[in-house]
Amino acid sequence: MADLVSYVVRKIMLAIPVILVATLIVFLLIYLTGDPIASMAPPHADPAEMQQLRVKYGFDKPFYEQYGIFLWQMMHGDLGISVGRNTKNLQVGDLLVQKLPRTLELMAIGLTISYSIGIPLGIFSALRQNSIADRSVMVFTLVAYAMPSFWLGILLMMLFVVRLGWLPAEGTIGGFASIILPAMTLGIGNAALTTRMMRSSMLEVIRQDYITQLRSRGLPEREIIFRHALKNAILPVITVIGLDIGWFVAGAVVVETVFSWPGIGMLMTNAISNADFPLVRGCILILAIFVILGNLMADIFYAYVDPRVRLG
Amino acid sequence: MSPRKSLNDRLATWKISGGFKQTAADILERGGRNKMVLIGFAVIAVVVALALLAPVLPIGSPTEINADPALAERPPAWNHWFGTDERGRDIFSRVLWGARVSLSVGTLAVFFSMMIGVVLGLTAGYFGGKVDYFISGVIDLFWTFPAFLLALAFAAALGPSLSNVILAISISYWAGFARLIRGQALTVRERQFVEASRALGAKNRRIMFTHVLPNCLAPLIVWASIGVADAITIESSLSFLGVGTQPPTPSWGYMLQRGISYLEEAPWIATFPGVAMLFTILGFNLLGDGLRDVLDPRMKGLRR
Repeated sequence: MADLVSYVVRKIMLAIPVILVATLIVFLLIYLTGDPIASMAPPHADPAEMQQLRVKYGFDKPFYEQYGIFLWQMMHGDLGISVGRNTKNLQVGDLLVQKLPRTLELMAIGLTISYSIGIPLGIFSALRQNSIADRSVMVFTLVAYAMPSFWLGILLMMLFVVRLGWLPAEGTIGGFASIILPAMTLGIGNAALTTRMMRSSMLEVIRQDYITQLRSRGLPEREIIFRHALKNAILPVITVIGLDIGWFVAGAVVVETVFSWPGIGMLMTNAISNADFPLVRGCILILAIFVILGNLMADIFYAYVDPRVRLG
Repeated sequence: MSPRKSLNDRLATWKISGGFKQTAADILERGGRNKMVLIGFAVIAVVVALALLAPVLPIGSPTEINADPALAERPPAWNHWFGTDERGRDIFSRVLWGARVSLSVGTLAVFFSMMIGVVLGLTAGYFGGKVDYFISGVIDLFWTFPAFLLALAFAAALGPSLSNVILAISISYWAGFARLIRGQALTVRERQFVEASRALGAKNRRIMFTHVLPNCLAPLIVWASIGVADAITIESSLSFLGVGTQPPTPSWGYMLQRGISYLEEAPWIATFPGVAMLFTILGFNLLGDGLRDVLDPRMKGLRR
């Protein structure tokens, strides 16, 4: 256990510079691309007014000083002030905190859907390798993987909202019912990956000697699969949950926009179209931290289940 | 030609697994017998042919707006195979012209990110040591983040335009190529023919590009095919969000975004561009997956 703890500490220490570099890149993105004042100033502002704004928001200071201030403020929870039309003068940090639970909710349900489709389907497919059922599942995964999430969302909307009228189209107006479609859209794409992984992992395990040995002892097939094979086969699938988070973060931006789901993704898309750079910066930063934490989680989980990793 | 140089040239063609000619022969011979490769290739060929023929086919203008409201939102019919959109433009024509945008963005972005990836990966893997340590750090950083998220950040900062989309995807997607080449270079540089070449006085750059790189061709081609599919997905997603290709240039992502407002009265607007996109992406994915199985079965774990 001690080696696990030291491994985790080492990984966390390594994540810190990565987060620092991410903040630097996010800062550079806005710093290097034009004059932020141009988009903040009222139209037809004269140069003197522009200069005044520049001094007010600290954009006249040298690069390293601006970055230092940005970091310092960020560590105190101050991510700047939004300059967008509808969110003018609101704290970026407050906006993010307000929208974050919506995105987390969406990702959690999407992840649940993805695993409850992918794991059973993968096992089913592996046990009937090369049958028509297996081939159909493989075709499903190919198509689901190739389908861009926003088009899948549109198709689901056509079916369940326009044709059948079962579900509300957008936002949170419909309570729980309105999360079903966006979560399904996110989940189905990832389910394709989960299915493939589960299938190949199961195929690998059931060819091993200990399974053959169990069969020769006359154990019922059901017991062999679910009590003995599944335990080993599911490990690689579960350990990538942290990497799935990266996929979900990217997907959420698009899916939230399709369904007008009021989370971080939707906030970011609106911020981009309003040229609200402080808010864009905040959104990118929080999504980046999500991805880094997801990867960290994956590393730790992997080391937990496979001791060889932490000793290496 | 000095004897030393000719010997070095002969070494360049004497390869264990790769080389340009060998890889091309492998693709033609074994790829021709693989169903995935054949189907993927056929789909891509159809899409490319239609995209190339778009200007000469009798399909009407993709951008000309029809003022007559009676011609807007017409369902598919003989004169408009895919119907017309909210401004009376022929959707079939817009889908074909959109294919030109998607294919050019996809191939150009992959080409540029391959350039970045090859140079950085080759340098890191071949020289090793501190150079490798530093470059690998950068590669890992870009590899950690989903390319779409990076491209979105770059595109938002650069401002929307076709060339900025290509730039944004290129600087977001290269890490996969770099990882691939670095790993390959690490093993190839230990091979005897590299040592022999160095003994004959070949310069580092020459060894890297004539001995190490040709041995990385097979995985590079596989990754490029899958990369085009990914780049097309990213481009259409960016256009869907409004930071990609700008109107009036027809783009699948933007067409779908407009279509959402007409799901009830004109569902075909949001249907056909999506079908075209799915086919194209599927084609490149199939080709890539098939080539991977054919060229190097060990690469199976490369992509989940």
